Amino acid sequence: MRLIPLAALLAVLSTPLAAETLVADPAAPVTHEGNLRVMTKFGSERLRPYFETLAAAYMAAHPGVTIELIQEDDDSVKAKTKTLLASNAMPDVFFSWTGTWGGNLVRGQRAVDLTEVLDSDWGKTLAPSAVDAFAYGGKKYGVPLYLDAKFMGYSKPIFAEAGIEVPETFEDLLAACDTLKAKGITPIAVGNKSPWVGLHYVGQMLAHDVPRAVLEADFDPATATYTDPGYVTTLNRLSELAARCTVGPEMNGIAYQSALQMLSDGKAAMYYQEIIEFDNSASASTVLKPEEFGHFILPAPKEAKGDPMALEGAPEGYMISTASENVPLALDFLKFATTPENGKLLSAPPYGQPSAVVGGADPATMNPSVVGGLQDIAEASYLIQWLDTVNHPKVATAWLNGSQALLGGTMTAEEVMEGVRAAAEDAK
Amino acid sequence: MTDIHQDPGAATRQEPGATSRRVIQEFWRLRWVAVAVALVGSFVYWPIIDNFRVSLTHQDIFTGETSPAGLENYRRLTEDPVIGLALWNNLAYAVISVLFQVFGAFLLAAIIEGLGSPRARAFWRAVYFIPSAISTTVTGLLFYFIYQPGMGLMDGVLQGLGLGAWSRVWLGDPDTAIYAIIAMSQWQGFGYAALLFSVAIQKIPAELYDAARMDGAGALRQIWSITLPMTREMTGLMVIITVTGAFQVFNEVMVMTGGGPNNASQVLGTWLYEQGFNQNDMGYAAAIGSLIFAVTMACGLAQLWLNARRRVT
Repeated sequence: MRLIPLAALLAVLSTPLAAETLVADPAAPVTHEGNLRVMTKFGSERLRPYFETLAAAYMAAHPGVTIELIQEDDDSVKAKTKTLLASNAMPDVFFSWTGTWGGNLVRGQRAVDLTEVLDSDWGKTLAPSAVDAFAYGGKKYGVPLYLDAKFMGYSKPIFAEAGIEVPETFEDLLAACDTLKAKGITPIAVGNKSPWVGLHYVGQMLAHDVPRAVLEADFDPATATYTDPGYVTTLNRLSELAARCTVGPEMNGIAYQSALQMLSDGKAAMYYQEIIEFDNSASASTVLKPEEFGHFILPAPKEAKGDPMALEGAPEGYMISTASENVPLALDFLKFATTPENGKLLSAPPYGQPSAVVGGADPATMNPSVVGGLQDIAEASYLIQWLDTVNHPKVATAWLNGSQALLGGTMTAEEVMEGVRAAAEDAK
Repeated sequence: MTDIHQDPGAATRQEPGATSRRVIQEFWRLRWVAVAVALVGSFVYWPIIDNFRVSLTHQDIFTGETSPAGLENYRRLTEDPVIGLALWNNLAYAVISVLFQVFGAFLLAAIIEGLGSPRARAFWRAVYFIPSAISTTVTGLLFYFIYQPGMGLMDGVLQGLGLGAWSRVWLGDPDTAIYAIIAMSQWQGFGYAALLFSVAIQKIPAELYDAARMDGAGALRQIWSITLPMTREMTGLMVIITVTGAFQVFNEVMVMTGGGPNNASQVLGTWLYEQGFNQNDMGYAAAIGSLIFAVTMACGLAQLWLNARRRVT
């Protein structure tokens, strides 16, 4: 019975650490004094200068303000956020994905309720669908900075040389791969050492094979069953794509940056990428020049049972910490970051992140493919979010591990789904 | 004749308050170690105790909420298939590291210290030590390119030797991923261990070797009968460091594979990280931390006990 006092002690120690949810007041006066800590996902060499430029301009306009930037990259921002959460040291402004990731921050009362602010005139300067992606329980918590979606980037010269057209169906894509392979060209470069790469294929293909209502029910841990036969169909299609279009299981030993480089160097015909990577794939310094770069949505199969017009992607944005001592100042900085001028700066090379600000993209200064990609996002019937951020972490991990094993040839589609179902059950 | 009368109780009788003064003096002397004790207690022992406390709870990083879990997280350890896999990988890491970084490094150090020229000895020590001076992240990136399928140095060498059939997706194949990481780790740690053995060998009196040579002992006999026993304490220390290090390994696996593919290269450290930071399950992560502590503590105590029994006096 010694555990009883121990349990009592633990109960005493079990004090919630999170702050209470704050509601931002759009009319609150801004005092341009003090420090502001901002955690971004712009840690790469190419993107880092964007927030540095913003911070320098803001501090020049408001000499009483000091902005401390914490610039992380796509992988490190996850661990950094959780470390800061665990130590109750969240920065005033921090990056967030939509879906379960943002939902957890809201559930933990870590994000300021921005509903009133985003419903004000300023909120109307942001793309409504992007703002809605950060809504939880009818309230809005995030300021979307840019839109993101997944496309197949391709080399126009290689396609022309091989005599192939942009595929309109999944079957056309497989046929194009056969043609390219016959000519000794790697059809699609894939680096699946980080397993989210393969999982992004799965996400887009699931939208084609599984009805939207089923998907959304399965993304919710409370209702998830993952029993629709479309899941196995997608995974089998992915296996076929891997066999006919890629280097096969070798992809699990290749980093995604190396695969992207293959397209940039003209050594592969295609690379599946986010719109925010377009300016990285083709630039003045790469073999593949921007005018030689094309893109298309990963096509649906002819007999798609899901939504053939769906597109995988989601906006990405920023939240304000409930622990911030200066919420009006943090909000003012986010308003500054989302002016049309700063939106245009973000949308143009070298950043190439299509701004979520209405009027924050100037086609004259942007990569034509980014402009085209933005049009595709606007025309998509449904944006399916990234599987590794929309799902419960246990389910996301089962998807990540399972899809990597499938592409490595060590698991079947049915085995992957068994793992996902078990994780979904565990997550309940 | 003087009668010296001795009081039989004098030896045990003390001035009033002498005991308490002595106790106070003893405690006062401890002030010299108090700072060190406080630092070690705060940053080493308290975290171990606190980790155990956390392992008896369920914690949610996002909400900061904690609830009692009893021994639930320890029960899960026994049912988690990845724990068995991770323990196996750690064990493989330990065994291979002991072979290369203890016995291999010992032989290398004995050979280097047997060289006649001091300049040659310094040169070879430096050559083998340089990999240890490179950060794990840089080494991981270097070996990623070496192992890269098709384009990597490893595949190139195999092709050049006519062994193309042996080519594998070294980091992407569940059967080879952990061993590819272990190989990188040996490359990096081998020279450091050899340097430590070199220092131990340099302390052996030269007369022992002179006497052995006069008795007709060859190089191998000298290593076996003099160098090995005279460096036994260093060998024991290296075994402890290597084994405990193998069970605490994290950076190498994180940089090279992140524990993949499909958890094939998970070790206890990376699985702890996965559970705590990706699965939002800090209580279970703390239980894994307690397991790592128990394993390394057991290995350390076993080695110390064995070493004490074999110590050369």
